[in-house]
Parts: sequence; structure tokens; C-alpha cells
Amino acid sequence: MASQVTREWSGIQQFPVATQTKLLELLAKLRNDNVNSLTILVMGKGGVGKSSTVNSILGERVAPVSAFQSEGLRPVLYSRSRAGFTLNIIDTPGIIEGGYVNEHAVEVIKRFLLNKTIDILLYVERLDSYRVDNLDRQVIKAITDSFGKGIWRRGVVVLTHAQLSPPDGLNYEDFFTKRSEAVLRVVRLGARIKRQEFQENAIPVALVENSGRCNTNDSGEKVLPNGIAWIPSLVNTITEVVSNGSKPIFVDKKLIDGPNPNAWGKIWIPLIVAFQYFVVIKGIRKQIKEDIARDDRPLWELRDLGLADRNF
Amino acid sequence: MAFAAQGLPRLPVPISASSRPNRRRPSTTTSLSASLQPNLPSSSSSPQNPPPKSKSLLPSSQTLILSATATAATATLLCGGGGGGGLFGGGGSGGGGGGGFWSRFFSAPMAVAKDDEEPGRDWDSHGLPANIVVQLAKLSGLKRYRVSEVLFFDRRRRSTTSATTGDTFFEMVSLQPGGTYRKADLLRELESLATCGMFEKVDMDAKTKPDGTLGVTISFVEATWQSADSFRCINVGLMQQTKPAEADPDMTEKEKMEYFRGQEREYRRRIERSRPCLLPIPVNREIVRMLREQGAVSARLLQRIRDRVQKWYHDEGYLCAMVVNFGNLNTREVVCEVVEGDITQLSIQFQDKLGNVCEGNTQLGLVRRELPKQLRQGHVFNMEAGKLALKNLNSLGLFSNIEVNPRQDEKNEGGIILEVKLKEVEPKSTEVSTEWSLVPGRNGRPTLASIQPGGTVSFEHRNIYGLNRSINGTVSSNNLLNPQDDLSFKLEYVHPYLDGLYNPRNRTGRVSCFNNRKLSPVFVGGPGVDDVPAIWVDRVGLKATIAEAYTRQSKFTYGIVAEEITTRDETSSICTNGSRALPTGGLSMDGPPTTLSGTGIDRVAFLQANITRDNTKFINGATVGERNIFQVDQGLFAGSKYPFFNRHQLSVTRFIPLKTVEEGAGKPPPPVLILHGRYGGCVGDLPSYDAFTLGGPYSVRGYNMGELGACRNILELAGELRVPVKGTQVYVFAEHGNDLGSSKNVKGNPTEFFRRAGQGSSYGAGIKVGMARFEYACDHNAGTGAWFCRFGDRF
Repeated sequence: MASQVTREWSGIQQFPVATQTKLLELLAKLRNDNVNSLTILVMGKGGVGKSSTVNSILGERVAPVSAFQSEGLRPVLYSRSRAGFTLNIIDTPGIIEGGYVNEHAVEVIKRFLLNKTIDILLYVERLDSYRVDNLDRQVIKAITDSFGKGIWRRGVVVLTHAQLSPPDGLNYEDFFTKRSEAVLRVVRLGARIKRQEFQENAIPVALVENSGRCNTNDSGEKVLPNGIAWIPSLVNTITEVVSNGSKPIFVDKKLIDGPNPNAWGKIWIPLIVAFQYFVVIKGIRKQIKEDIARDDRPLWELRDLGLADRNF
Repeated sequence: MAFAAQGLPRLPVPISASSRPNRRRPSTTTSLSASLQPNLPSSSSSPQNPPPKSKSLLPSSQTLILSATATAATATLLCGGGGGGGLFGGGGSGGGGGGGFWSRFFSAPMAVAKDDEEPGRDWDSHGLPANIVVQLAKLSGLKRYRVSEVLFFDRRRRSTTSATTGDTFFEMVSLQPGGTYRKADLLRELESLATCGMFEKVDMDAKTKPDGTLGVTISFVEATWQSADSFRCINVGLMQQTKPAEADPDMTEKEKMEYFRGQEREYRRRIERSRPCLLPIPVNREIVRMLREQGAVSARLLQRIRDRVQKWYHDEGYLCAMVVNFGNLNTREVVCEVVEGDITQLSIQFQDKLGNVCEGNTQLGLVRRELPKQLRQGHVFNMEAGKLALKNLNSLGLFSNIEVNPRQDEKNEGGIILEVKLKEVEPKSTEVSTEWSLVPGRNGRPTLASIQPGGTVSFEHRNIYGLNRSINGTVSSNNLLNPQDDLSFKLEYVHPYLDGLYNPRNRTGRVSCFNNRKLSPVFVGGPGVDDVPAIWVDRVGLKATIAEAYTRQSKFTYGIVAEEITTRDETSSICTNGSRALPTGGLSMDGPPTTLSGTGIDRVAFLQANITRDNTKFINGATVGERNIFQVDQGLFAGSKYPFFNRHQLSVTRFIPLKTVEEGAGKPPPPVLILHGRYGGCVGDLPSYDAFTLGGPYSVRGYNMGELGACRNILELAGELRVPVKGTQVYVFAEHGNDLGSSKNVKGNPTEFFRRAGQGSSYGAGIKVGMARFEYACDHNAGTGAWFCRFGDRF
């Protein structure tokens, strides 16, 4: 799986010049920080636009996308290098199936990521859905359980389908704020991050519009309704997260298997056994002895023992 | 002055001895019976030869037989009639009668028809005019008279009583209305009445009846002594009876005085030598009250006293105790002499199938060990101790018939030889049983293919070396055509008395090798998940344990277990992971691992200890008391993946009676509140088949087995209130089970994988009908309820 050849990032040339300049600028900046490669993990429910986002970022149609069908059942790694900088993007299948998180899919993703380092997690969600539900929480929980809470320090919430006209009475900015708040709240609850911690290390939200009908500005860059060119903005957000001081997540065997409950507490077993023998077993034995002493014997037995003294 | 009296014929007294249910013992339906049989001398057989005046102190030797015929369900104690006999001697002090002893024996129905006459009329008419009173001497010595009526005429009271109205004296007379007697019989009867000591004067007249029969009137003056105001009961068991020195009728007044004094001295010495008796002071006081109320001591009063004393003894189970004499009459103190039934010898006999004495295989030490020490030499025989002996011996399962039989000791007066007669069961037995099983097919009708012959072969070799060691084995299969599918076997060697027969420590060693197959309750779906493919857990292993019994119910068991665990799916092939049906219809095969090694086969050896403290007892059928069980399995790094673990559980159950009730047969049991708590936990390696499961009839009622989860730590709390209603039991309960958040600490999290809640409560009510419980339980998680029918008790 990892044997995919690193190819020259030719897709970058597809971008408008302004975008290219910005991207190269950012990459150079990363290189200055001694970051020569970047691995981005893209996760989310099915059909939110994960693969399209990957295509958009790479500037080529690497991941097959179709409008009505989710295709990939396995994660795919796309590696591109440009000027000594390697960009790895891992596209994953949706992990929801039949109203539940599909542990199997999660398992496959985890195995795929074995011995890789995740620099960035893109949690993909749609901007144009209005509601968050329990399912979102389950997805967040599954991600957190798999890679640990720390992954959210490297996380970026990506809201796709950003080119929309918000419902009546709301302007675009308000809608965006509300929606991102709702999504972030779900992330916070699902990942069980404390409110304060969450506020200190806010998870950035980036907007994406993968549609070919996306508006462009004068220099041909794809822009959002608020006028921001989203590709440079997204990459910018990513570089910010990379340099926020948190550690990338290295996926090793231990992380995949989770903490081994069977190993926990083993060293205490000799102490437990000693406690069981000296306190519990001896205690119960003492109670039995007391029972025997207290046992009311029949009168004939007492008389026989000479304890009656003619009183009964 | 002296008299003799005969004891009241005793009525059959049923007793019951509980016995454990027949546990796979071949043959022998079980009945436990005990009887007190009159072991009558030969004289009892014919009315023509009334017993000669017996010189034996105990007029009838009574035999009390307690017997058990193998694992019994009920026991009956029959105390035959004509049992005890009393003997009264008036120990005169002043000018009273001599201290002589008379005895007399009565065998119950004396009148037996003679068969050498023509049938129908086996007696002769008196041949005299009707309604005249004839003196006994005037009757013909050749005729056989029929006595149609027996009347007592108290000269002092001037009143007549007949046998039907009842008088304590009637037990003295062996004449039965309707019986046939010769003149000699009647004379002998009169003589024995005259010498029994009950009467100052007694006479017998016959009144002719028109139908040729006789009416016998016994006129008497009751013997009385001076009034007394204290009572003393002495135990004269095993003491030599004093033989009264013959009083010379030609003694002078002075010699007579000398003679009486000597008698008096001797009697005082006898009292001093006697041992204290068991009769308690309250009964003594009661008798003193009787004496004081009465004034003069009369024969009737003495009879009542005797009955009272004997009643106490017999009520308390001292069935061989009896009043043999009253002494010291005509003083302020009445002395009652009692033999209590001291055991002088304990003899253990084995019988063969025909009841002949034979040499037994069982070692005597083993039998002695099981007998309560109250049955040993020097103790007073008590029925309860006999019953206990019966119960203990019966529980050994070695004897098909057990008799505990007190017999009068001929050599020691008032002594009892306790005979324990045992019939041994065959030490080796084999049994083969077969069965057919059919399973309903698709349309509810059984298909031909589902008919399977099954069978069990078992063998047992009991009582090896006469030490109750045994080897037993069972092999069974539900399908003899393909026995390899589910062949289950168990082979066990039991070695009791590990510390020796004479060591009071009671430890039993057991080595067994076994296999079994169970449906795992870990791989069970939660409420929304159906059709979870079943996982079978096969265990094959070897187990060696030592069990030390502290009491009948409390014990400490420890040992080592080595086993191989194989997990299989429904097709009997080894499987490594649980599976769940996916919405797509397929199976996800990546569920929780079934074994520690991950291969589907685990081998493990561990230490196991279990201590049970159980002081519960039955009060009128309701269990009351406490039961604590602690069990721990300790891994030893031995086995697949070198497992090291400590798996422990403690369960505490209290049965609290809410009312004090009187104990006794037929009395209602008290309402009982039951509080139950169980904690289980495991530290270290925990394969799924050893995880604790929540839910089920013995965990949280109202849920299926394992429906609530499988976890590393478990806490169960339950309360139940049992109320007796019209001979049955009604109960309400509430239960809660919790995984304490430990489900995720089981590898693969089977609780979550199968979408189970991990905790749950239930409440409900039910009624007990026989062994079965019918209950309605509400599942608190879903809020629905259902009816259940279960067997056996939850606690």
C-alpha cells in the first residue's frame, strides 16, 4: 500500500499562478521549519466530499469521484513531491454504515496507517447541512478512540460545499459561524475534550468548494462567497496547524491495538493474591469457626455434654 | 406393699428424615423406616399360657429399630404396642410394706380363639342361671368361659367403671371383653393383680349373663401411702437391683423393726450411689405440684407420675428410658427410679443380601466416624442421635439398608446394646442408558434426519479398600451415530478422609478429568441485535482439588486446573473471533477474539480456590441465614501466551427472616427478605470465555443470558422478598447488574461489539409452585416485561 510511488506534483501547475505562488510560498515556509513532508489524513462520513477535496488540493483527478456512489472501500495514499517537499494525502472511505460506525472500516484504516505519521487530520463535513446528530458524535468518537485525543490538536475541520446561499434571514458569515460552532461542539463532545482545553487550542475551520462551478476571482482562483481564495487559505491553515507546537501522531502497533487491558495491573497480582488469602479467605474461615461455635445444638446433645445442669 | 404396672402401649409416631435426592444411584427405591418392636417372649403367643411371673426387671425387652433402605425420602418410626412396662416397689419406711419387687408382664391381646373346637363357637357356656354372681372359685376348671364385660369396682369410691369409660387401672388387666379364658387364667389374673402393688385388696367376681358369657367385676381398694411433698428422680441404670431379703413371717416385732431399718439403710445407700438423671427441674416441680395437690399418694397418682416422667423422656427422644420403680413410699419424698437407656456396647454388623451377618467391606472406623459420639458406649441413647447416625450413614451412599437398633443388654440391667446393622451396596456398578432425540423441523414436524440416538454409559466403583474411595466415569453423546461431535466424558477419583480415618479434619481429595461444551454467553447480541452466530466453548481438562469440610455446608476447596479451551462456531469448526451479521447480510468476522492466543485454542493451568460459608438452615421450609462464597482463579504463567491473571468473585447473600415463627411441621414459614450482592473482577489476562457476563436467571432476571454485557468487573445487587401464601411462596424482587465501565477492558469489547447496554435493572414478582418459579420480570432498559418459568431457586 505504501509502495505507491512518489510522483512529481504536476497538478500544482493546474492552479492559477496566484495560487501557485502562494502554495510555493507556504511550502517554502514549511521547509524553513524543517518540515520536508506532510501527511494529511482525510476522514469523515461518506458522501461529504472527502475524495473531491483531495482532488482539489492536489489539483488532479486522482481519486475517482462520482455523484451518487461512494466508491473506495479502502484508504488510498497519494504522494506528490515538489521542490524537495513531499505531500502525502490519505483518502479514506466513509466509516458509517447502517447507522453505526463500521468498526471494520475503522480497523482497515488503522492498519493502513500503521507505521505512518499523521501530520494533519482533515475532518470533512458539509457546510450545507443544518443539523448535527449522534452519528457525527460516533464518528468523532471512533476517530478519537483510534488515534487518541491528541489528533485533534492536528485537526482541521473542513466544511465542503461552501458555495451556498444560506437560508433566509442569515448572511453567509453568520451561517458559517453557526454551522462551524455546531460542528466544533460535536467534535468537542465526541472527542471528550474539556471545554477550556478546547478553547485554548481551537480547532481551525476551513471552507472548501470542490465544485467546478466554483466562482473564481480575477486571477482565476476559486473563491468562496466571502471572496477568499480557499485553496491557499486551506493550505495556510494547514501550515499553521503544523507549526502550532503539537506533535504529529505516529501510528504504531500500540496505538492501533489500543491500551492492552490484559497487561494492566499485572504487577499487582501478587499483592492481590496476598490480600485475598490473608484477608478474604482467612476472614471467611474465621466466620465459619464462629458459626460452628455459635451453632445452637439440640438439647439432647447439650445434655449429653453435661451442660444442661437439669435446667432443660 | 408393692405393685406392678404395665406401660401404656405406644402409638405409632411417624418421624421423617430428610434425605438428599437420589443422585444417580442405580436401583433401590428408597424408604427409611424405623420401628419400635416389642420383642416379646414366647409366652405372648398363646393365651393359654399366660406369662409366668417374670423376674426380669424390664418386663418387656423392647427393640427399637431405626432402619434406612438406601437413599430414602421418608422415614417412619413405629413404636409398637406393649412396649414399656413399669414396676413399682413400695419401699416402706415406717410400718409400710416391704421393699419387694414384683414384676409382671403383659402381652397385649391375650385372647386368641382356639382352633381345635368347631369353628364359630370356641367357648363354653357357663351353664348357670343368668344374672347371678359367682365366685371365681366356684367356676368350673374345665370350661372355657367367654368374658363379655370387664368392670372395675372401686370399693372406696363405690363406683364402677368399665373398660370403655377408661380408668388408668385398665392397663393393668389383660382380660379383654370378648376373650375366652379358663378358670386358671382368671385366677392367675387375679393373683397378678393382687401382687402388682397397686391395690391394697383386690377381688374378682363373675356375673353370669343370659347369653352364656360372663361379666367379670374386679373390686378393689386402691393402695395409698402417706402424703409426700417432694419428689426425686434417680437414675438406676446399670445398677444392680437390690434383692429384698426374705422377710421371715415368724419374726418378732423387734426383728421386724430391725429388718425394716436395714431395708431403709440399704435404700438410702442405693439413692446415694445412683447417678443424676436427666429429668429437668421444671418437670420435677410439676410433679411436686401434683403430689401436693393430691394429698395422700395413691397408686393412681404414681401411675400419673410415671406417665409424666416417661412422657418427658420419650418426647425428648430417650425412647429406652423408663420408670422401673417407685421407692421410699410412706415418707415425705417419693423416689422415682429410672433407667435411661445407657449404651453399654456399640456393635456394628454387616449383613448380606439375605440378612445374615457377614464380614463387611467397609472399615469399621469409617462407620464409627460417621456415628455421633452420643451413640458410643457410656452415653444415653437418644432417638435424635440415632436419626443423625442414620442420616450420616445414609449420606455416605454405601449402604442399601441401615438399621440402628437399641437392644436390651441382658448382662447389664437397664443397659442398651446399640446395634448398627448395615447392608452394603454392590461396590461396582455400570449403567447404560439410551435415548432418542428428535428436533422439530421446518413445519413443526420432526424430520427423519433429526432423529438421533443418544446415550450415556457410566460406571462406578465405590468403597475401594472399604474407605469410601471411589472412581466413577460417565461418557455420553447425544448422537451415537457421530459420537465425535459431542462426546462428553467425566472420570473422577474421590479420596475421602485424606488425613486419615481417625483425624477429625475432614478433607476429601478429588482428581477428575472432564470435558464439556457450553454456549458462550459472551457472544450474545444486545436487544437490537438478533442472530448473533453462537460460539461454543469446549473445555477438556484435568482438575485436582482438596476440599476441606468445616460443617455440612461450609467448605474450603483448593486445587489446580489444567484445561484446553477450544472455541467453535455452529459448524463445529474452530473459530477465532466472534461475528455479527452486517446490515448487508454478510457476516463481519472480526469480532472480539474468542481466545487469548487468538488461534481458537487456549491451554491454561491455574490454581483455583473456593471458600463457602453457609450457615443457612430451613425454618419450616424457608431458608434463613447467610451464605458467602469467595472464589479465586490464579494464573501461573502456564499455558498459551503465558497467562497471568487473578480472577475473583465474592458473593454475599443474606436471608433475613422478618418474623420469628415457631418451628414445627405444618407451621407456616416466616416471610424472608433476601439481600444479595456479587462482585467479580479480573486483573491480568482475560480471555473472552472467562469474562463475567451480565443478565440471565442467575444474574439479572428479566434478561437473557449475557444480554447485558460481558465485562472485566461486575457488580450485581439484588433484593427479594418472599412471603408465604397458602402453602406456597410469593415473591417480589429487584435486581441490578453493572459492568462498572469495565466492558471496554475486555479485548474486542464484546459488550459494544454486540451492542449491549453494559448495565441494567429489572424488577418483578413471581410465585413458586413446587420446584418451579413462575415470574413476571420487567426489563428496565427496554421498559417491557415478560413471563418466565424457571426451575430452582435464584439464590
